[in-house]
Amino acid sequence: MQRESENERGAARWELLQGLFHEAADLPRAERHEFLSQRCGDDQLLLDEALRLLEADEREHSLLDGDVATLAGRLLDSASPTAHPPESFGPYRLMELLGEGGMGMVYLAEREDLGSVAAIKILRDAWLSPERRERFASEQRTLAQLNHPAIARLYDADALADGTPWFVMEYVDGVSLTSYCERHSCSVAERIALFRSVCEAVQHAHRHAVIHRDIKPSNILVSDDGAVKLLDFGIAKQVESLDVAADRTRTGMRMMTPAYAAPEQIRGDRIGVHTDVYSLGVTLYELLTGRLPFDLANRTPAGMESTILEHDPVKPSAVARKTAERTGEPSIYSSASHASWAELDVLCLTAMHKDPQRRYATVDALLRDIDHFLRSEPLEARPDSWHYRLEKFVSRHRKAVAVGSGMLLLVVGLVAFYTVRLASARNEAVREAARTAQIQRFTLGLFNGGDDDAAPAESLRVLTLLERGVHTARSLDADPAAQADLYHTLGGIFLQLGKLGRADTLVEAALAVRRSMGSTDDAASGRSLVLLGDVREAQARYADAERLAREGLAIAESRAPRGSDDVAAATISLGRTLEDQGRYADAIPLFTKAIERRKAANAPEQDVAEAMTALANSYFYAGEYAVSDSLNKLVLAIDRRVYGDRHVSVANDLINLGAIQFQWGRYDEAERYYRQALGINESWYGAANPETASNLTMLGRALNFQGRYEEAVEVLDSALAIQERVYGPVHPRVASALNDLGTIALAQGELDSAEVDFRRMRDIYREIYGGDHYLLGVATSNLGSVYLARKDYARAERLFREGARIYAASQGPDHLNTGVARIKLGRALLRQGRFHEAVVESRAGYGIVSKQTSPSVSWLQAARKDLIEEFGALGAADSVAKYRAEDEAAIAKPESSGVRMK
Amino acid sequence: MERPITQSERDDRPTELVPEMNERSELDQLFSECYEELRRLAMSVRRRDPSVTLNPTALVNEAWLKLARRPGIASTSQLHFRRIAARAMRQVLVEAARRRKSEKRGGGAAAITFDDSLAIANAGADDMIALDAALDALAEIHPRQAMMVESRFFGGLDVAETAELLQVSEATILRDWRAARAWLAAELRRTG
Repeated sequence: MQRESENERGAARWELLQGLFHEAADLPRAERHEFLSQRCGDDQLLLDEALRLLEADEREHSLLDGDVATLAGRLLDSASPTAHPPESFGPYRLMELLGEGGMGMVYLAEREDLGSVAAIKILRDAWLSPERRERFASEQRTLAQLNHPAIARLYDADALADGTPWFVMEYVDGVSLTSYCERHSCSVAERIALFRSVCEAVQHAHRHAVIHRDIKPSNILVSDDGAVKLLDFGIAKQVESLDVAADRTRTGMRMMTPAYAAPEQIRGDRIGVHTDVYSLGVTLYELLTGRLPFDLANRTPAGMESTILEHDPVKPSAVARKTAERTGEPSIYSSASHASWAELDVLCLTAMHKDPQRRYATVDALLRDIDHFLRSEPLEARPDSWHYRLEKFVSRHRKAVAVGSGMLLLVVGLVAFYTVRLASARNEAVREAARTAQIQRFTLGLFNGGDDDAAPAESLRVLTLLERGVHTARSLDADPAAQADLYHTLGGIFLQLGKLGRADTLVEAALAVRRSMGSTDDAASGRSLVLLGDVREAQARYADAERLAREGLAIAESRAPRGSDDVAAATISLGRTLEDQGRYADAIPLFTKAIERRKAANAPEQDVAEAMTALANSYFYAGEYAVSDSLNKLVLAIDRRVYGDRHVSVANDLINLGAIQFQWGRYDEAERYYRQALGINESWYGAANPETASNLTMLGRALNFQGRYEEAVEVLDSALAIQERVYGPVHPRVASALNDLGTIALAQGELDSAEVDFRRMRDIYREIYGGDHYLLGVATSNLGSVYLARKDYARAERLFREGARIYAASQGPDHLNTGVARIKLGRALLRQGRFHEAVVESRAGYGIVSKQTSPSVSWLQAARKDLIEEFGALGAADSVAKYRAEDEAAIAKPESSGVRMK
Repeated sequence: MERPITQSERDDRPTELVPEMNERSELDQLFSECYEELRRLAMSVRRRDPSVTLNPTALVNEAWLKLARRPGIASTSQLHFRRIAARAMRQVLVEAARRRKSEKRGGGAAAITFDDSLAIANAGADDMIALDAALDALAEIHPRQAMMVESRFFGGLDVAETAELLQVSEATILRDWRAARAWLAAELRRTG
């Protein structure tokens, strides 16, 4: 193709050429030449060019079709000494390149004097200063002391003259663990056995205080005879410390293989033995499913980070089963029973849990559970999705569960009881309150001519004055428009203060007055409809709330004056009702629209921030924590700018951010945020205020999760004291604070303390809710757990029975809680030797639970175990066999021949 | 937060998509900052396991993370940034390629190709330089297409993003890409 000298002609020609190319490409190959000849006519050159294009189109082109990564990788690798490695390293002579590892090149080397071989790894792009070389060498000597049959020995290590570090290691002739398993079509049992060997090796290293940090299948070689060897122990640590050139980037992912890196590695948090546990977990995942838990391909570092930190992997059993279904051939899935797979799910996912505290703390613990598994015993690990599922369920229905200002109660089993306060729920309220504060001031000014400072007055005084306002409003019959407005405003204020009954009455009154004026769909009525919707939302009447919001929005869209905020406000209200119903996917676009609207209307920043907060909340509930985090940070910046550093809006933003950190398991970060917020809340609301108490509760939880129990208890005690002072001894908030304390006490084995707390909690709920409220069930069951721990089975039985009854009555006989309660009841009965009765309960509970949460394995496992015992005692051999069969970890299934499919 | 990108290409630098006039200096500043950052990142990139590649796209994203907070850049859309960064990345790679070639000539002439990848790396350098030249040639006859290739290849923009950036349909992008690819391939064969 000759290049035209003038761009214009060139451009025109190229247009022409392209057109021809596309047309011809659409034709069947046989017709192309003909077509082109016709169209090109005399222009032989054009014809040639077109043909060349078509040819190139059909060919593969390594550079253009590939991605530039490999190319870049090579180019950017600045000329390093390893391009010309020396021929000898001390007594070793380099023979051939074995491969490229993650950090450098590996060569096969021969030791001439001994005639033995070894592997030599040379790090690229690493450079040791003379000062560091000494330390490096001595550290390596420590590593060299690791002596275990399954760990590749590190013989020696040092640096070249120019500072390039190198290691001499035992040469292992084998293939990677995953390759080995694939080639030999290993069954689940065999894979677990191999994995167990790996764990033992890691355990050994841990006992010698060496953490691997880079465990992955390619670092685990298996030789022909099936012997396992781990490579590269401790090298990762060395490499990390050598990374002087690159600063600590946000992702810091350079020094490890992202796919196997633990969340704490990615975040740059402390590494420990639990980090190796995580990598082992991922390795196990790969062994069981043939693939990695996360698809990190084509992701940006930030995307990788958020995937690893937040996305839950699909259960191994599900992946394996899908693969089996797809390929239709004997597969790894069929080499283990359904029950075994359920166990493996728990095993694997616990090992790779994102929260180090929820993971197996040590390889010992992992090994123990592997052995449990191999012996068909119940695992020690408790499955996670129990918690998650309930957590997500409750967070979806938080308003239904909520107590007043958006406290979120999490019920997990019948043992633990968490409280998460999502201040975000009332973030808008706070902003509104700021605005309302102005109204209040105005109103107060109207009534008593006094002035007020920025902080809200004692609620009592405000309420009194507001009642006077209502009184005044009633007398405004002569001016219905003003009357309606005042009713509307007062209703809004009462709503913010949480006086829903008053708010309800007032807003309805506003609407009634407007109706009587003949206005039903004017802008003002629309606003009142929206406000009524807000009231309904607070009352947890979501269907009504949604309907009203939609009505109000419709009116706003058609009637609102130009430049008014009505549409945006209505949109936000509607969005919130959807959010309450768990319809985050629907809520999110609404909030986004509201944000845009307000921006477009040049609304004050804080109003835009309000909408952003609403959006951030939705993302939070939907589990998109990273997005929520970013949004909240933006809102925080705005609030700081608009209100200054010490405003409650800022405090609430901080709490939101803290809640996110909490979800991420970064409890120390959460703590920091909560403390900051606390400082503000205490000074704004005073020490004896429910907002402060809420804040304290969240702080207490964060402390609890860091294992700082004494501090947690102290904080929670304060929270409890405040709640009691403000609400009196009988109030849901007090009950939930007691629950926090009781949970901690139970976990600490302080059974007496726990009993006291749960008893009080139960008493409170009894008094508040009277009949059968599921929260009462929770308190009852939690109390039962205390007795179970005490081995006072008779009492435990009574309580579990009551708990189950309450659950059945309030949530339904087939509810998860009911099922679990019955399982526990079954156990309590079993322990008392009342086998017939026990069977009834255990079986019923088992039936209920197994339908809903398959990975509730430990519960089901326990139930089965109980049932086996029970039936055994009753001599019902068939039933025993049945449950035993279900229970049996049928690992040793007949070997399935056939090609292993990936 | 997203500022819409206008289509006006009033500059005769063919591969630049120029927004409003008053952003001109911002653009320059953006480019130079980006370029510096990418160079810095690139120099510290390490080789890794072939099965996991940290590629220029990722570098660009890292640069974005770093630079996004700077005032001049904060108001730039990420898409726009990546477009510029792609340009910068291309620059970085071309320079690295040239450096590598000069190294080869300079030292270790009779390089014992102990390291197979050394040979490959040198081929890579030639490829890169050739690609750079070919892109320049394409830019002379169809600036927008060259820009598209640059953004996709060096910036990792996918079809949808490229379409949004150039304000054309995805179908157009696919067509253009196919034709551009064929042209470049033919050109590379011719010169390489």
